Amino acid sequence: MSRSDKETEEQKAWRVLSEAGLVEIRLDEFAERIRDVKRLVMVRLRELLDFNNNVQERESAAYSLGTLKVLELKLLAHTPKGSESQEN
Amino acid sequence: MKATAKQLRIETNWPPSQGQAISFTSSTESNSPRSNSPGSNSPVSETAILKEVRWGLVWRDFVLEDGRVIPEHRVAGCPQPQVWRNISEVTEDEREQCEERLLSMAGAGMDPRKRDQSFWTELNQYLAYTYLRFKETGSPSPDGEP
Repeated sequence: MSRSDKETEEQKAWRVLSEAGLVEIRLDEFAERIRDVKRLVMVRLRELLDFNNNVQERESAAYSLGTLKVLELKLLAHTPKGSESQEN
Repeated sequence: MKATAKQLRIETNWPPSQGQAISFTSSTESNSPRSNSPGSNSPVSETAILKEVRWGLVWRDFVLEDGRVIPEHRVAGCPQPQVWRNISEVTEDEREQCEERLLSMAGAGMDPRKRDQSFWTELNQYLAYTYLRFKETGSPSPDGEP
């Protein structure tokens, strides 16, 4: 891979993450960002269940989704009542 | 020309070594989840001693002697463009270990909303990595939705 290709990939990753608010997550946006990522994993998991028989990737996506769910619940447990936006 | 020479000098000496003083931008953002008032997130320059540089799932983290963890892009003199990992380089084992650490920290009652602490930085990188991973592999549905 050439350096210019690599730079392009990194710049693209930076842009994608910046647009998603995931480079430096604000303290009051963690729950929202976890939900965004969870939604993305759920879309992919649905695709894998419907069209793909790659069991390993399916299991890995399901495990990541479970991890995100646990982290979201722990985070909400730490959130003072009334300071969290609506739950999805 | 001078700027190019200076940049080259920085790049050959990058990353800084253990024990070296580094400058970085921190933030006055409060750890309170309610701190979303304007001006509560203004950058501040600080200097501290570097303990260790380590790779996360996406970018490098600079661990300071006082325990704080600063992402490389906030450290002064960080060469541009930054070196990030390709997510395909991250092994299953590495990802699983990261997930275990996150679950362990959450299980221990730690709160990730403590800026520049291990849980904050590790969760930040995990979310960034997971987003890139599934954003890249996800194929669009026939109606154009992701």
